Amino acid sequence: MNKNTLNIRKDFPILKNRKLVYLDSSATSLKPKCVIDAIDGYNSQYSANVHRGIYKLSEKATDEYEKARPRLADFINASCEEIIFVRNTTEAINLVAYIWGEDNLQKGDNLVTSVMEHHSNFVPWQQLAKRKKAEFRVFDINDDGTLNLEDFKKKLNLKTKLVAVTHVSNVLGTINPIKDIVRQAHEKGALVLIDGAQAVPHIKVDVKDLECDFYAFSGHKMLGPTGVGVLWVRKEILNKMKPFLFGGSMIEKVTLKGAAFNHSPEKFEAGTPDISGAIGFGAAVDYLARVGMQDIEKYEDKLKKYAYQKLAKIQNITIYGPSDINKKCAVFAFNVKGIHPHDLASLLDEEGICVRAGHHCTMPLHTHLGLIASVRASFYIYNTREDVDKLVKAIKKAQKLLILNS
Amino acid sequence: MSLYKQIILEHAQNPRNYGRLKNPDLKAHLANPLCGDEITIEIVKKGQILKDIKFSGTGCIIMKASASLLTEKVRKIKDVETIKELNKKSVLKLLGGELTPTRQKCALLAFEAIEKALG
Repeated sequence: MNKNTLNIRKDFPILKNRKLVYLDSSATSLKPKCVIDAIDGYNSQYSANVHRGIYKLSEKATDEYEKARPRLADFINASCEEIIFVRNTTEAINLVAYIWGEDNLQKGDNLVTSVMEHHSNFVPWQQLAKRKKAEFRVFDINDDGTLNLEDFKKKLNLKTKLVAVTHVSNVLGTINPIKDIVRQAHEKGALVLIDGAQAVPHIKVDVKDLECDFYAFSGHKMLGPTGVGVLWVRKEILNKMKPFLFGGSMIEKVTLKGAAFNHSPEKFEAGTPDISGAIGFGAAVDYLARVGMQDIEKYEDKLKKYAYQKLAKIQNITIYGPSDINKKCAVFAFNVKGIHPHDLASLLDEEGICVRAGHHCTMPLHTHLGLIASVRASFYIYNTREDVDKLVKAIKKAQKLLILNS
Repeated sequence: MSLYKQIILEHAQNPRNYGRLKNPDLKAHLANPLCGDEITIEIVKKGQILKDIKFSGTGCIIMKASASLLTEKVRKIKDVETIKELNKKSVLKLLGGELTPTRQKCALLAFEAIEKALG
């Protein structure tokens, strides 16, 4: 492997625009041609419904749709019947809150989550706790942006029913010690849900090795299309869960008096699914496997070190999250003294650089850091050192422009 | 062309009509929780004639420049009914350049606060 590039930029049609410096992959990733073709293939060649038709076209659609499931199962070392297709990570987490949460949480129990969570792994639990008159407990982070495991230990007790925590922070980039968290939670009899939206695209995830109970992630952050994600639930737990939405596909038999439900995963996939989405997601996972998750990790490791080194040298910049770069992914949230994040993002946009500015759906984290907003540059496999250099140059240009005028 | 033209930067760094009024007849406060921008508009008027207007608050360059340019404009117009006829389009025109919908919110914060103050 060439050390400084994965040599895959040619696979992304959008990057034919050579001026584009896309640094917002934590929000959504770009799509390679094979994913676009897979989606287009369904729409233009066999756009029939799944699990219904007798005719060949429908069989083909069902076949392609169902091929995506084992690909995803393999990708995270799970079994097929544990892979539930949902819209995205948010829906996956809400499904668990509404189904498992409603059935298993009682008044006086507690739910534990961290202050670094995305709103999608925070608000569903906050609301569930309110509905159930249960306690919603939030544990702290350390000054370096890692989880405060001492505080976690304090928040955990025998009344804890669930620990919901992110695998990788979408702002700080922190890679959390999931196995340690799972072990401690299980010792207290609590289950563990992991928000894997920012992890699966970047690091090899093995749900069996993590020993967690629920794992959620989205297709569109890992080169797939928007509108499809995965909820993985450990089989023993899944078998006890009631259905989420009722309707077509999820039933076995319906009479005037009642209904019997299908087995998993169909039990949790009522209605016509996002067929082309799942097919595209399967193609994305194939692509990632072809590039190789190990090579991706190695490449991103080098790129993040380069980016951190360059960014940290900029005057008056504050980068949030671990200064030990080995503890984080290639996500950099920062502020530049004297420049409002929105102005900086607009000025970078004028240079063709796409970054996000705001609270990145983590208001509790931003409040904890004493911030209202920050700028975030997030990198993925198609980004290069040249992108880092352009970002640094543009930040310095913005500083010059605004300082000259102050 | 850059949105951050000299005139915008100049207005943001040296905003006109920035400050508070002693005895305002009308007052309004607005904030954008997404970026933390906030503005207070204070107005002194006699009948239908605007006598004085000031703004205060914190925010990005676009918000400050827009508030500066807009308060200058309404000061010139004076007649409250005519000020009320101002619309979003004319306010965005003051700034020139292309504003994305997100940045339009920054640019229109002062306008919305003036609208709110005038009722």
